[in-house]
Amino acid sequence: MSDLILDRISKSYGKTQVLSEASIEVKAGETVVVCGPSGAGKTVLLRLVAGVVEPDTGDIRIAGRSVLNVGPERRDVGMAFQNFALYPHLTAFENIASPLRARGLEAGEIKKRVDEISKLLRIEHVLGHTPRELSNGQKQRTSLARSLVRGPGVLLLDDPLRNVDAKLRYEMRLELPRLLRNFGSAVLYVTQDYKEAMALADRIAVLRAGRIEQLAPASAIYDAPESIEVARLFGDPTINLYPIRPEAEGGAAVVRLFGQTWRLPRGREAAIDRDCMLGLRPEDVRIGGDGHPGGVAFELEAVTPLNVRGVLYLRGPAGEELLATVPERDIGQFGRGHRRIWIDLPAEKLHLFDRQSGARIAPAAA
Amino acid sequence: MATLSLDKLTKVYRPRGREPVLAVDHVSLEVGDGEIVGLLGSSGCGKTSTLRMIAGFEEATEGKIRSNGREIQDLPPSQRDVAMAFEGYALYPPLRLRDNIGFALLRERRPRSEIDQRVAEVAGLLEIEDILDRYPSSISAGQQQRTSLARALIRRAPLSLLDEPMSQLEPQLRAILRARIKDYLIQNRMTTIFVTHDQTEAIALADRIAVMEKGVLEQYAPPVDLKERPANLFVASFIGEPPMNIVDAIALEEGGRRWLQILDGAGNPAFRVALAGQASALPAHGGLEPGVKYALGIRPHRLRIGATSAGTEGLTARVFSRQWLGDQTHLGLEVAGCSFVAVADGLVPVQVGEQIAVALPLAALHLFDRASGTALRHGLDAETRAA
Repeated sequence: MSDLILDRISKSYGKTQVLSEASIEVKAGETVVVCGPSGAGKTVLLRLVAGVVEPDTGDIRIAGRSVLNVGPERRDVGMAFQNFALYPHLTAFENIASPLRARGLEAGEIKKRVDEISKLLRIEHVLGHTPRELSNGQKQRTSLARSLVRGPGVLLLDDPLRNVDAKLRYEMRLELPRLLRNFGSAVLYVTQDYKEAMALADRIAVLRAGRIEQLAPASAIYDAPESIEVARLFGDPTINLYPIRPEAEGGAAVVRLFGQTWRLPRGREAAIDRDCMLGLRPEDVRIGGDGHPGGVAFELEAVTPLNVRGVLYLRGPAGEELLATVPERDIGQFGRGHRRIWIDLPAEKLHLFDRQSGARIAPAAA
Repeated sequence: MATLSLDKLTKVYRPRGREPVLAVDHVSLEVGDGEIVGLLGSSGCGKTSTLRMIAGFEEATEGKIRSNGREIQDLPPSQRDVAMAFEGYALYPPLRLRDNIGFALLRERRPRSEIDQRVAEVAGLLEIEDILDRYPSSISAGQQQRTSLARALIRRAPLSLLDEPMSQLEPQLRAILRARIKDYLIQNRMTTIFVTHDQTEAIALADRIAVMEKGVLEQYAPPVDLKERPANLFVASFIGEPPMNIVDAIALEEGGRRWLQILDGAGNPAFRVALAGQASALPAHGGLEPGVKYALGIRPHRLRIGATSAGTEGLTARVFSRQWLGDQTHLGLEVAGCSFVAVADGLVPVQVGEQIAVALPLAALHLFDRASGTALRHGLDAETRAA
């Protein structure tokens, strides 16, 4: 059982700082997903843990011991990649067995362990095939099996579901957490896909421009994003954002938006007279019927279905754009768009950010 | 004004020294005036070859292409009156973005004020108004793609062909740009055909989608029909995120009733679904011959959690995975040894390991022929719904 600790890691290439003081702690048996846009430094982070590159400053500890300047093969780290990286001339069995052979395990023990993990990953029937004869899904499972077979203390997964088809990707998303729990490794998992991150993570580390912007369970990241950028990275369609400047009225904070005055819930007084951004998630917009009292009239310009939800593209009284989503079964009533509908804003669901710094303005405790 | 029809359109590539490749296999479809059509499939399915034949960049091996009823398959591209945006961008390097986008209007000798106004409109729509005075080499791939798209959209051509128009876009911009583009296409009544490998994009934009696989048109239908009435197992397991759950099932007649015996992954009996009413309530020719093995499908969001429904009374599932994605919950369910993916709107308050009631409503079940994959019925309730 090994914990993984990244302690204020920084890394530069020439003048480019790719990681700045990144700290993450992964407990044995925990999965932390590093999620961020391309170029955020995700892959460099994995390479640092693997021992392929060394940090400029900071420490990396596995099972309480610093592994700086410890060779990759002696770090107790397993890795699986998005491009599978299998040996093309070896069978699936030999690919999976390779880390065990490298450690000089005896043949009987190797067979037992390979059979066990293959069964778990449901590839026992293709162990005799070479990578060329495997489907992408089987290659990916073989690659996972190889990374897991010797039960590494730390497991690094670099976007392993990127190159498999949708059906398998969803199956693996549901299966992986159960599978990983069997091994008790500290798992660091990298992806650009926020949904995958939310699906798989015990905690998510949001990495942007080399910095960890937020490290928290998925629900906290989605419901209480620490910054505008985190709010924009998590959610599809992207959160609606409007520049506002809350004012005081009768002791509460109010905002002018869509030609109306909206009263913010208690505890938002800190935002008064500050330049803010107001965030509104598309699924939090309330769609009223005709002439919904208290609502605002919007023009429905277009309807774009999205997986299990439908997206309504709306324009407000002053031409403001608003994206709202509704359950798929309700899309039909909106046709191809071009009609008037009424919407309402649930005040308790609004997010507030400082416009200058981008930081969340958290509601004061009641 | 433009309608388009493809009539048994076929493309065979004959690479030197290798076997000929049938890239597009007798594809026929009609595109109505002002309609937005998506050609959807994985790489190598023939969607781009089809688009290039319509544009005139590839010669059709066989078949006809008609625009407004007129055959155009032998005309050079310039006489087909189509606007095209490519995945490879193809911007003119020495021109600023502003002039790249306005190029077609400049050539038509439109007044400068009109060109400026229309460039501003499409640039605003695609969020490139701040970089109009830059050159293609100095902008990102995503910006180049938006510029290429702007150049096609500005023409308001009778027929617009868009090749992977949004593949490079930043994820945070996708939903809003799709919405604006769809609005623009509808406003200007632009007949549009676009190619994509991304079903989310196809479903969001298209009035109808042509699903292609190995050169063959598998189904051509509105997005909702691809989901609710998939023509075959390929479409059923390709469309939908997550895609349809598919299990094997044997039809039985017992005690004067009809049943479906669901099989688990290893082929062993898992659980049964009772079909409505007496055996005679279901037409024998609508599928369901006793003793025959079928493929049975149900879409993830049609499984009902914590509920019961006719045919599957008392059925329970063990939750082996629960994933909250912010606006929807994905559940991994094990029902008597069968795995199902279920999707629900909002947060579902169940725990991993919990046993919960689950229902497979008869109306949500799809029946397929196992050998050919062809859909036999959509809905197994008493109402007849032959596919």
